[in-house]
Amino acid sequence: MAETEAILRALSRREPVAVTDEAVRLLAALIDDVDQRCSSVSITPSA
Amino acid sequence: MTTGRTSVGIMPNVTEGCVADAKTGVRLATRSDGASYGDDLRDLTSLAVQGDRTAIESLLTQLRPMVVRYCRARLGRVSGQYHIADDVAQEVCIAVLSALPRYRDMGRPFASFVFGIASHKVADALRSSVRSAVPTQDLPDGPDEGPGPEETVVRYIEAEHARRLLSRLPDNQRELLMLRVVSGLSAEETGNVLGMSPGAVRVAQHRALARLRAMAELESIA
Repeated sequence: MAETEAILRALSRREPVAVTDEAVRLLAALIDDVDQRCSSVSITPSA
Repeated sequence: MTTGRTSVGIMPNVTEGCVADAKTGVRLATRSDGASYGDDLRDLTSLAVQGDRTAIESLLTQLRPMVVRYCRARLGRVSGQYHIADDVAQEVCIAVLSALPRYRDMGRPFASFVFGIASHKVADALRSSVRSAVPTQDLPDGPDEGPGPEETVVRYIEAEHARRLLSRLPDNQRELLMLRVVSGLSAEETGNVLGMSPGAVRVAQHRALARLRAMAELESIA
């Protein structure tokens, strides 16, 4: 469980993670994908 | 471009009942320096509830990336684009913004409130037929400095593969991994959102990852 926590914590913080298996690799790929150009989405509250 | 789905819709019912229980502070996401957003966010939320425009803008600036990632991971792409997911994320932010004047801090983390709204909005979007409305892509204003076509396609395929495997997990395990990995919440924050103790989150995430590994391994053999 400690290893799982370490892997998930690294993924959630966008830190490098040792890809030990396909599932972790795919989660990392999903993160890469959803993080793409996140900053370009904007919203401005109205007055 | 957007698909124009920016209406607020039905506002969440903000009552004491939905913000009570937890005693822990707000810490919506872990900063790169390992520090906590919690106190900042609690202060920001308090000011935003009172209508402080600067606080509202700062609050949205902090919330938006996590909400966008969550919606993108749950809804995926349509025609290779995240327009729908990003529009839903915008609806979530607008709903949070609209509900702020009625929000009462009863001790439960603000993240619970935000991701509760996000979860409902995503469910609404999945149920609706909006996914069949395919927006056209804007022409770029300049050269695209993003990854090349080959890298983009590989990333797209792998992300869709991850999404497909995650969709086969039980709802609670999928939601847990989305909040932890994609939205970037800690075990404690995820527990606050889902009504679980941090220990229970760690047990559940271990099982979820093991299940995901088993499914991925089975697929690689097949």
